[in-house]
Amino acid sequence: MIWHIAKRELYDNLHSLRFALTTILLLGLMLTNAVVHIKEHPIRTQKYNASVTESLNVLRDRANNLYELAREGPGLLHKKPSALHFCAEGGEPFLSDVVGGAFLWSTSSGLKGFWRLDYPSATPNLTNIRPNITKVDWVFIICYALSLIALLFTFDSISGEREHGTLRLMLANPIPRHTVLIGKFLGALISINIPFTLAVLMNLLVISMSTAVQLDGTAWGRLGIILFIAVLYISLFLALGLLVSARVSQSAVSLVTLLLIWVTFVIFVPSTLASITGGFSSPMSRDEFRKRRDELYSERWKRYDDYLFEVFEPSKIIQFKGKHVTEEAAEQERLSEEHLMQQVRQVKFARATTQISPAAISQHLFESLAGTGFERYLQFLENTKSYAQQFRAFIIDADRGDPESLHIIGIREGMSQKPVSSEAIPKFEDTLSLSKDFNTAAIELLLLGMFFIVLLSGAYLAFVRVEV
Amino acid sequence: MLITLIRREILDNLMTFRFAAAVFITLLLVIATTVVLIKDYERRLADYNTAVKTHHQQSLEKKTYSDGIFNVDRPPNPLSLFNVGLDKQLGNQVEVYHGFVPTLWDAQMHGSDNPIMNIFSSIDIVFIFEVVLSLLALIFAYDALAGERERGTLRLVLTHAVSRGYILLAKYVSAMMCLLVPLLISMLLAVMLLTTSTSFSLNADDFLRIAGIIFTSIVYLSVFYLIGMLISAMTRRTATALMLSMFVWGFLVLVYPNVILAALTPHDTPETRTASTFSQIEQLWEEFDREHKQYLKNDAVPGESPGFNMGWVGSSTRRFTKNAATLKYSYQNTFRIEKLNERSEPKVPHVQSYYQFLVPLTLNTANQTWLLRKPALEEIFVKPALVDRILLKLSPVGMYDAATQAWAGTDLFGIEDFFSAAQRYRQTVIDYFYDKKAFASRQWFAADKGAVDWSTLPQFFFQKSDVGINAKRALPDVSLLLTINVVLFVVIFLIFVKSEV
Repeated sequence: MIWHIAKRELYDNLHSLRFALTTILLLGLMLTNAVVHIKEHPIRTQKYNASVTESLNVLRDRANNLYELAREGPGLLHKKPSALHFCAEGGEPFLSDVVGGAFLWSTSSGLKGFWRLDYPSATPNLTNIRPNITKVDWVFIICYALSLIALLFTFDSISGEREHGTLRLMLANPIPRHTVLIGKFLGALISINIPFTLAVLMNLLVISMSTAVQLDGTAWGRLGIILFIAVLYISLFLALGLLVSARVSQSAVSLVTLLLIWVTFVIFVPSTLASITGGFSSPMSRDEFRKRRDELYSERWKRYDDYLFEVFEPSKIIQFKGKHVTEEAAEQERLSEEHLMQQVRQVKFARATTQISPAAISQHLFESLAGTGFERYLQFLENTKSYAQQFRAFIIDADRGDPESLHIIGIREGMSQKPVSSEAIPKFEDTLSLSKDFNTAAIELLLLGMFFIVLLSGAYLAFVRVEV
Repeated sequence: MLITLIRREILDNLMTFRFAAAVFITLLLVIATTVVLIKDYERRLADYNTAVKTHHQQSLEKKTYSDGIFNVDRPPNPLSLFNVGLDKQLGNQVEVYHGFVPTLWDAQMHGSDNPIMNIFSSIDIVFIFEVVLSLLALIFAYDALAGERERGTLRLVLTHAVSRGYILLAKYVSAMMCLLVPLLISMLLAVMLLTTSTSFSLNADDFLRIAGIIFTSIVYLSVFYLIGMLISAMTRRTATALMLSMFVWGFLVLVYPNVILAALTPHDTPETRTASTFSQIEQLWEEFDREHKQYLKNDAVPGESPGFNMGWVGSSTRRFTKNAATLKYSYQNTFRIEKLNERSEPKVPHVQSYYQFLVPLTLNTANQTWLLRKPALEEIFVKPALVDRILLKLSPVGMYDAATQAWAGTDLFGIEDFFSAAQRYRQTVIDYFYDKKAFASRQWFAADKGAVDWSTLPQFFFQKSDVGINAKRALPDVSLLLTINVVLFVVIFLIFVKSEV
């Protein structure tokens, strides 16, 4: 019986105007998305490859001298662009895709320090005068456009029938109400999935046909999960439509209510709520960061000067200098990291509060599965951090291999000056790991599922109590 | 008769659920957003004040004329609340130095903002109207004609001696009056919240600008109402009208502005243009360098600049700053002698004549660089951005956005006003130098006989452009929106007159 009702709904929808318009709209959006991606992705990859090669060349040049390598570091560390960028753009223009290094350089004492990570703190792209637009990615197509369409498919499914009087007719038959509801839900789901699947297929066809973008096995796996989430998200909005449609007696009222809910939760909550809750915490400002940095710096130099004032033995001084530069580097790196982490915490909190909107949840899910956006940025930072440790360990190790060295890391007199083989130096490679992504995604996926169950059972309860 | 019709329609509309919902949701969103934005503005203003204070402090510490590099700051625009435009996105601090013409592309950002928070798109009041009010206008309009036709009441009305134009007009006027309620109330509340906050100082001009924004909003609202009415006049059934309206709305508001720019704009910057201009600029500076070296070679007194083998304590910089992407090329030569050796005293007139030669040469080269750089920047950066904006204006949403930005002064021209002011200030500084005969003076490089007294140098002050200029910038878009209104109304009238009931 469920299938009977679903089929009837499906036939109804197939002939409707909304079905035709949806098909055109989705096809247009998905094709634009694919074309833009195959145009832009090669440029991104090329840029990444060029900068990685440049970093490697820099590394090779510096391999001539272990001390110089320890001081100058491995060059810039770059974030790898994701091949699934078309699924979620994730505010990437606002996130830095490179982490640099720095080292202490005091001209007065002639002391040069040890390499450390230096996280970017500047606002990128101050000269962008082009109008701000949302990228047409899957997040936009599914979370914004398709959710609206889902509401348009169900806003009158119960209230409309009640207005026409056909609901009374249908319920006169011995059909349990939940069957009717599920039938209607399935009918709407299938009919909205027809144009959606078509559009997605066209999109993926265009992308996979182009030689510019190569998608590997994991990428297809990720796409599969993304599509599953998309269907869950659409179902959620269909259930919402059914719920409101069952509660109110007029289709017009149902539509107005749904549209207002949609505008609030899909358009406003993800950004306005984030701005509100972002205001609760105030991370270290740039001025404060600079002030603390200078304080640390002068404190350390004062200790240095005091020590040199009292101690004259060259061997002790050399020991102290080594300790001075390595500790200085560690201290500054810690501060730079703390500055960044306070900013990250603010954003994390703001993001967590937006999770009352299903649109924001699925946007986060899309981003983490596509390997873009904020979560990816955090992963990249994590990667650079562990690489920095690896790099330092290598320096110490390589220095130990040189019998002539005094093994005092960070200063010229105390370290090996010999060349090291450039193959042996660890190289930074940014990686994406699906399991890590999926761990962060699991809770959000659960939340999305809960939303769906609550809404569907709400729709059921509303429909059961409805008087025809 | 018209009054009766309007009264009936207004009563009809006022008692509906959609009206209540419209008022509720607009008020809720506008108030929430205004509170957030006011807080944000206050923070930016505090940052601005701190920056101005530090920069003022720094400028007082400059001891010689050649040290005169001043940072000027762009105040946050209080009307960015209505339409944020480019106000938060572009640099708000720029260096004014006699040897370089500052532009938007050389600006820096001061402030305590968390740059990562930018991943959340910022929302302003105009955006709420753009999305919510247009949707409400369509919801009010879709059944205006099709609904009456379906129920048969249209036939009833037309049996009376009422002209069809009157019916249309009555419907239009009454619905607009109902739609104005949420618009005006929320605007009023927003302005009230603004005036209660102590950090906002709005003058009469600002209120005129806000009035301009309100007027533009009304015109925009009317466009969407008329689009809905057109759809309603063309279709027989309300259900069809509703579907069409929703898809038209989705297309105009959500899809078009995002798709058009992604799909059509070229992503490559004209690299050949950049490279050729930059090489021309480089030639200018090579010429400068040659003349500089020539002068030093012919110099009677041996020694390199800046030291000239003098015994001195102080600081100096001599550097070229280049950036090929933004065509930046500048030369800084600052010199500050705190203490001068007695023996070097005879050399001082010689250094004076050196700077008397060098500074005008730097000025001249900087001005010539600007002549090359200005048209190139316009072509490389400004033109594509303007093309983007024209493409956006094919949808009424784009026109509305552009017009309100122009009123608020947060559009590209409004921001460029600040940089023109910075350029004028540079001229003021140069005039001041000429006035004081600074280039030839000892204080250009030496502060040992007393530091420069900057107190007579005029302070930098940025005055927002006149309301008249804002109006002039907004006028094309507002008049376009008005034209669309008239055209739509005429078309609806024609369709409605010809249609059978």
